[in-house]
Amino acid sequence: MVESWVVATLARGLAFAVPLLFAALGELVAERAGVINLGVEGMMILGALSAFVVADLSGNPWLGVLAAAGVGAAAAFFHAFFSITLRANQYVSGLALTMVGLGLSGLLGKPFAGRPLAHPLPKWDVPLLKEIPWIGPGVFSGQSALLYLGFLLAFLLWVFLYRTRGGIHLRSVGENPAAADALGVNVYLVRYLAVLFGGAMAGVAGAYLSVAYRPSWTEGMTAGLGWIALAIVIFAAWDPLRAVVTSFLFGAFYHLAYRFQAHLAPEFLKMTPYLFTILFLVLSALGKSVRLGAPEALGRPYVRGER
Amino acid sequence: MKLVPRPAPKAFEVVWVSTLAVLLAFLSSLLLLWLYGTPPLEAARAIAGGVFSDPRGLAEVLRRAVPLILVGAGLALAFRAQFWNIGAEGQLLLGAVAAGGVALFSGIEGPGLLFVMALAAFLAGGLWALFSAFLKARLGVNDVITTLMLNYVAIYLVDWLIHGPWKGKSAFGFAYTDRFPEAASLPLLPGTALAWPGVVLALLLAVLFAWLLFATKLGFEVRVLGENPEAARYAGVRALFTLSWVALLSGGAAGLAGFVEVAGTHHKLLAPLQISLGYGYTGIIVAWLGRNHPLVAVLTGLLVGFVFAAGDVAKVALATPFQLVQVVNGLILFFLIAAEVFLRYRVVWGVRRG
Amino acid sequence: MRKFWLAAVVVLWALAFGQQEIKAGWIYVGPIGDYGWTHAHDVGRKEAEAAFPWLKTVYVESVPEGQAGSYIDQMVRQGVKVIFATSFGYMDAVQEAAKRYPDVIFAHATGFKRAPNVATYMADFYQVYYLNGLMAGALTKTGKVGYVGAFPIPELKRHINAFTLGVRAVNPKAQVLVRWIYEWYNPAAAKEATEALIAEGADVFAFTEDSPTVVQVAAEKGFPSFSHYSPMLKFAPDYVVSGQLVHWGTIYKDFLAKVYAGLYTPKNLEDVDYWWLLPQGAVELGADFGVPINPKFAGRLKAKQVDHPIFGKISVYDLVMKLHGLMKDVELAFDPFQGPIKDRKGVLRVPEGLRLTKHQLETMEWAVEGVVGPWPNEPK
Repeated sequence: MVESWVVATLARGLAFAVPLLFAALGELVAERAGVINLGVEGMMILGALSAFVVADLSGNPWLGVLAAAGVGAAAAFFHAFFSITLRANQYVSGLALTMVGLGLSGLLGKPFAGRPLAHPLPKWDVPLLKEIPWIGPGVFSGQSALLYLGFLLAFLLWVFLYRTRGGIHLRSVGENPAAADALGVNVYLVRYLAVLFGGAMAGVAGAYLSVAYRPSWTEGMTAGLGWIALAIVIFAAWDPLRAVVTSFLFGAFYHLAYRFQAHLAPEFLKMTPYLFTILFLVLSALGKSVRLGAPEALGRPYVRGER
Repeated sequence: MKLVPRPAPKAFEVVWVSTLAVLLAFLSSLLLLWLYGTPPLEAARAIAGGVFSDPRGLAEVLRRAVPLILVGAGLALAFRAQFWNIGAEGQLLLGAVAAGGVALFSGIEGPGLLFVMALAAFLAGGLWALFSAFLKARLGVNDVITTLMLNYVAIYLVDWLIHGPWKGKSAFGFAYTDRFPEAASLPLLPGTALAWPGVVLALLLAVLFAWLLFATKLGFEVRVLGENPEAARYAGVRALFTLSWVALLSGGAAGLAGFVEVAGTHHKLLAPLQISLGYGYTGIIVAWLGRNHPLVAVLTGLLVGFVFAAGDVAKVALATPFQLVQVVNGLILFFLIAAEVFLRYRVVWGVRRG
Repeated sequence: MRKFWLAAVVVLWALAFGQQEIKAGWIYVGPIGDYGWTHAHDVGRKEAEAAFPWLKTVYVESVPEGQAGSYIDQMVRQGVKVIFATSFGYMDAVQEAAKRYPDVIFAHATGFKRAPNVATYMADFYQVYYLNGLMAGALTKTGKVGYVGAFPIPELKRHINAFTLGVRAVNPKAQVLVRWIYEWYNPAAAKEATEALIAEGADVFAFTEDSPTVVQVAAEKGFPSFSHYSPMLKFAPDYVVSGQLVHWGTIYKDFLAKVYAGLYTPKNLEDVDYWWLLPQGAVELGADFGVPINPKFAGRLKAKQVDHPIFGKISVYDLVMKLHGLMKDVELAFDPFQGPIKDRKGVLRVPEGLRLTKHQLETMEWAVEGVVGPWPNEPK
């Protein structure tokens, strides 16, 4: 009894977490470089559509995922150009990107609505690991390959951010771009790359929805997941490994809201992660032990020679 | 290409560059409609005809603009104090909830009811924002995060109320409260769907906020706090006191927007995404386009209201798909923020030196 | 045959007294690409437009409730004479607009408020749900059938009750487990609700949500399901058993033909209330149009024998076909809500020998025995 609850919560929490994780990891990198992108929802839905179209026409879902990454990055380029080169307001530019993405995907996606996808992404059983009691069937069986790629990506990003020169450069650009510039880091280049990476990952998140999670295209199918990903970045305190945990928590709460529906109004479970975030912030501010702040220069365009 | 920062632009420069940007944005929208198959002249005529030719169409612009002005003027005040209130959507919803609660359960009759509803909405929105301001001033907790998170909490709160304890007996099982009593309806401008007291309220509040900001000690403290928090401390600015007022007023203004929406348009509580059509978020854009000046926010609120109303007209008169309207709205935003670049920087063409 | 004569009379009448052209407008609650509710209404609109050369149509998608009045204003300004509002939430806006424009004809789907120029209409599925329930009851091995519902409103409660009555008619101990997602369209929510039901042991699925999600999730696990609203057989050809399909076009064509003929005017709609079911062809039993039962399930359904009070020993397949024929061809020959029916708290809701009135069906809040799960607004 307990086992089946644990297995189901693990399995569903993780399956739901995949798009959140990819989108959050991408956004996290962009924000670490000091650029906030509220266009996640828009990039994600463009990714979902392009993945479905390419997978449908080519018969290869992995090509769809690649195409989604490309399209996501291309969409992010607009945000990068406006917010980095033109130094425009990042919040407005991101919102505009979301509007354009949702509208454009709806227009272009019309011919693809209501069609099943013949070859969705396969599910993987991890040999040996799947035999572990409780954890095996929950984590290592019947999940999409993208889940494990998401784990890997989170780990690699963590290593990159905290253990490599490139990571130090990225973080310094987000914390104090003037100082980074003085040290010879190309602030604009780093920010561009970070934003494009964010777009590509949002695209992959969308691809997961349309070629793995529910293989078909329907207008507006991201249904707000992009906004949740933005919240996860904050909840995870801009840390890739914490992003894994928080994405899973959001997924698990989502699943449990349906399991407990008979006993508890689902709105309260859905509210919980947001209340937790605030509580966590307050507690850490009281304790002064954990630093849970945003990158210092987040949202501010960098202008050479200006402080 | 190189951008060189320039001193603060003069007022007339702001006006003509912004006007040019708006015109270019509209022209390019027409171009996009043309690509989709509607000749630009016909499109312009249909939209102008739909919006300007009769009072109902014109009132639509105002009906969309009122919540945007209320939210935008309040946020202008908040952003001046560097209180990054992203939570106007939640504050608006809380205002709607408070107004709805009073309308449904207080038993007050007569014209006093509307007054109490407005007051409750103002307080509910204001206190919802005050919580974040307090955490920021006292504990240094990031206000962007707390205000944003509280939006979701507000959304689920409304959802719970309309599905649970406040679900109406006459709602046929649907997720609505009962309809408010007649006394809880704002009067409409004859022949339109516009609740005119909303317009008065929005203008009054914008003027009040401008006066507060530029003619009072509190306003002075707000500006000092926003421009230089370090200096503010030396100048004896009471951060908690000032931030609290700013939060109360900006959240309260958003709450009033919620009051106007439910008392003027909906006359009941309904799904959060139906109560507010993203006014709390669009209000951020209105405040920012208005350069955080409450009176300019009136103009930008009207502009965005016009864009929304024009899109509504295009959907029916030109059979423009709503997705294309969405794309056009996004493009208009891109134009407006690009225009800002030319106000803040001088563009130098040529090889970058050093 | 009766229909043919009616149509012929209408056309002749129209030729004799008819008008030149009618412009009709549709107000949609979602995008027409939703593959559910709005998609189906739009199919109906196109059908009407194709059928009548004198008909011009316009539509607006994704209309928020607070904006419905303003879109109606614009349609009227465009010369639209007949307006179809396709969501319950537009009720107040339609009533107000009807007073504003006494010469315009309004028709409001799923609503209950009428006026001299406001009719109401609904294509209802409860008969079809009963038939689907019979099949679900025969196919479940765990004795648990899952139902993913959008909102706990009387319409869905009526459908789930009819479905459950069907399930229990062939499988008296079976349960129908219900989860609500509180949204008409949300694929992720529908998926997680289905997964939650799978975790609780359900192995056959029906649902109300505007995407094929539940069908796809069930098929992944090898469980049969019933399509909803649009034909979803192609999303899981081996797993979709049957389902409920809609033909809004039949209502739209009938209504508009009568407007054209002058039978419906802005003065005489007070009592015009379409409540169209199987006999009128407004709804259809099927996994796809023309496929009442997926042939892949014929064997299993024929193998399952039940003892039926009317037909005696009979296979579920034949039972479905017989009752389908009865409900389709002979009005009132059979009704799923035939007393005695007790609710799950033991209160007698339909006395022996009686049936429910349309009003009772429209306001149903109770749950029949066999429904398991949250049921907001359940009477004590």
